[in-house]
Amino acid sequence: MSVDLSNVRNIGISAHIDSGKTTLTERILFYTDRIHAIHDVRGKDGVGAKMDSMELERERGITIQSAATYCNWKGKDINIIDTPGHVDFTIEVERALRVLDGAVLVLCSVGGVQSQSITVNRQMTRYKVPRIAFINKCDRTGANPERVTAQLQEKLGLNAHMVQIPIGLENDLVGVIDLVAMKALYFDGDNGEVVREDVIPAELQDQAQTKREALLEAVSMFSDELMEVMLEEGDIHPDLIKDAIRKGTLALEFTPVFVGSAYKNKAVQPMLDGVDAYLPCPTDVVNMALDLNNEEKEFPVSNDPADPLVMLAFKLEDGRYGQLTYVRTYQGKVTKGDTVFNSRTGKKVKIGRLCRMHSDEMEDIEFCGSGDIVALFGVDCASGDTFTSGEISCSMSSMHIPEPVISLAIIPVDNKAQINMSKALNRFTKEDPTFKTFVDHETSETIISGMGELHLEVYVERMKREYNAEVTVGAPQVAYRETITARAEFNYTHKKQTGGSGQFGRVAGYMEPLEEGEYEFVDSIVGGVIPREFISSCDKGFQKSLVKGALCGSVVTGVRCVINDGAYHNVDSSDVAFQLAAIGAFKDGYMKAKPVIMEPIMKVSVEGPTEFQGSIMGSINQRRGMIIGTMEEGQYTVVEADVPLSEMFGYSTILRSLTQGKAEFTMEFSAFKQVPKLVNDELIKKYQSERKNG
Amino acid sequence: MGKKNLVMNNPLRILGLEKKVQDKDASMGLVMSRPGLGKTAILVQIALDSMLWGDKVLHVSIGESFDKTRAWYDDILALMGSTEKADSFQTTVAEILPNRMIMTFKETGFSPIKLEERLGDLVQQNIYKPVCLIIDGYDFQAGTHKDLEEFKAFMVRNGVKMIWFSATTHREDERKSAAGVPAPCHEIDDLFDAVLMIAPKDDAVDLKILKCNGCSVDAGTSLILDPSTMLIQKA
Repeated sequence: MSVDLSNVRNIGISAHIDSGKTTLTERILFYTDRIHAIHDVRGKDGVGAKMDSMELERERGITIQSAATYCNWKGKDINIIDTPGHVDFTIEVERALRVLDGAVLVLCSVGGVQSQSITVNRQMTRYKVPRIAFINKCDRTGANPERVTAQLQEKLGLNAHMVQIPIGLENDLVGVIDLVAMKALYFDGDNGEVVREDVIPAELQDQAQTKREALLEAVSMFSDELMEVMLEEGDIHPDLIKDAIRKGTLALEFTPVFVGSAYKNKAVQPMLDGVDAYLPCPTDVVNMALDLNNEEKEFPVSNDPADPLVMLAFKLEDGRYGQLTYVRTYQGKVTKGDTVFNSRTGKKVKIGRLCRMHSDEMEDIEFCGSGDIVALFGVDCASGDTFTSGEISCSMSSMHIPEPVISLAIIPVDNKAQINMSKALNRFTKEDPTFKTFVDHETSETIISGMGELHLEVYVERMKREYNAEVTVGAPQVAYRETITARAEFNYTHKKQTGGSGQFGRVAGYMEPLEEGEYEFVDSIVGGVIPREFISSCDKGFQKSLVKGALCGSVVTGVRCVINDGAYHNVDSSDVAFQLAAIGAFKDGYMKAKPVIMEPIMKVSVEGPTEFQGSIMGSINQRRGMIIGTMEEGQYTVVEADVPLSEMFGYSTILRSLTQGKAEFTMEFSAFKQVPKLVNDELIKKYQSERKNG
Repeated sequence: MGKKNLVMNNPLRILGLEKKVQDKDASMGLVMSRPGLGKTAILVQIALDSMLWGDKVLHVSIGESFDKTRAWYDDILALMGSTEKADSFQTTVAEILPNRMIMTFKETGFSPIKLEERLGDLVQQNIYKPVCLIIDGYDFQAGTHKDLEEFKAFMVRNGVKMIWFSATTHREDERKSAAGVPAPCHEIDDLFDAVLMIAPKDDAVDLKILKCNGCSVDAGTSLILDPSTMLIQKA
């Protein structure tokens, strides 16, 4: 691995589902000699694409976990994270983007900019990731890369311009014209591995010239030198254009657009040249860390291998040999056997084994330096932890983690399944912060919650396949929440004298809404009316009460519990007595604190032919949706709305029948909002009747 | 807030234009300026004012993306909220946002007929019934007097009380109406009840009232606005 950081590219490959990201990655690995045969995503050879290492991924033809790999292209070391396209796996995309310096936004030349492309683009913008676009599938019927480029400009607001145009389209796609060098490129050999340069076909000369002029005009604003040459009407050297494109791309003000077909082995290599030429190396990007010794003041990391180590764990995986932790090094270096510090826990950690990942295979390495993405073995940490060499105390800024919105009850079919299920859940929750699990003590059911139906479905399937844990699954339930809206006092005495040692504890104080965070406990006890050793018991009691709210049995969040009075008994007071007293106190105050039920609201985007706009809007309106806006894009319209998740079950079927199958929708979590009175009453009634009937 | 502050500093409040929406007759307003001086920001302020009064607003953006249009509101609200108490401001924003809907069209895809068709989808299904329309990006070079009259008729048919347009002027085109309304709207100024003109002025923005039927200020009056929020500048 070269140490010169200008030769390193950390890139992500992101796009809408089924745009061909994994196929593209497969070709990249083939052309960079990382693999020696090409396998298709849903291949008949039964091997599957390299990056879809999970059996389920190969079967369904979608990427679920982002896989990491690296390759070397013309002397540049490229670390690639292949990311999932489905919105339910957004956390994987978010994590990848946080640690990447650049990205390839893959689009389908037929589907164009689809809803998930918009989400991914928004995420790239959030993490200031410079990007190039690759319009894939130009061999498909209806391919129209020009339309897709226009959509990149209009829908995503990108200053996107083609740096290539296709030679032929659909079945006639034979190569591309490089508008920078003004050459035709063809891809010979069985797998398109031989790139042949030629003159531009005469019939495409005019089109190429026009497109090049548009490109030059767009990028000239990033280079005074280029503008001068253009004004003087002199010969423009390709390097001058490349330099301008690179400047614009790094400044997030320009997006070069490449075209091709990964499946047909067309034009993947020039796109790799684009990664090298236009995407940033680690030193081109400013990454900020928080100085924990200086009130979390932001400072830029240096990227210098000679500086103290700063390394971020961005993904955990529980593999065959224990926990595998993916890390990105921002400055300094780490060698096998080094001891590093976890900034969050303050614990020392020894790096026993360092690996470079190649999907599910790994290659042991001795050290990694600034800018690298590698994996550590046997390091106990959480996703998002920062490691340092101990000379500095800092943390990389936290990652945005969305809240789970949907839950499902799972019941193991037998005792063996129960044990295996626990193992599986333990692993999945550690790996994926958007996947949560708990046991409902009333029904004794295990509840799993996540970002969508597919998200949970995949985990249930993985439990079965990887852990042999057969479970029966209940109907998906919306993860409602309860919260309080007013301050209320509580005062409760727990007293029990039924033979044996008694129980006594009195807890008094108040609860109030907490603006930020889920729960806060404040101890304002003076004079020892509750002894020190029982203060934490009160906290525990309140926390137990939060698990199930009295309105609809949902988790209670946004509560601050303050205790300021109480009483104890020298003999009868105990940890349990004060926990029960706090539970009683919570019950006492909760209903007085005007509790309300909150529901997850989804940001829904429906895209369909304009003629169905009325029906689409009507269907959203019937679902308590609030239409934010509509966008008319020629024959197509996009309707954006906020809709409660509870109303979205089965929507795909309804939408299909309303629009003759011509519309599609995606949704992602937006916020929790209070449910309307009618729904509130229904939920309470349902919960009460469930409790009554056991 | 915040609602009170927002309302009091809004340029419309000084003009007394809020009554227009309550008027029986449909009226049209126009915000003009050279490119890039803040027409959309003024229109967003006008929309926010209606929203604060509980009136439904449909913001029609021609040639601009949905996200960019929404970003105008987000940015202006963020600037206004930066000086206010966070909780109450957020509550105000949450209260008024259901009063806004954005509709975007491509430049080539917009016509009053198409707009009426889309509005019909909303009104007939009882999804959204706006009383104030903001039309940003309408091409006055191409629109005739008759086209604009069609908007008036459209308002009556659909129960819309007020439409605010934006129009771009150009330095090189010096044509003007008798009321001082510059091209490209100099021949249609009779159709507008209010015409406001934005001009830069040192560190502020000058909002000239070229015409304002039924306003509480006379034509020729200027307001000094904060260039970031387009609210009346505080002394």
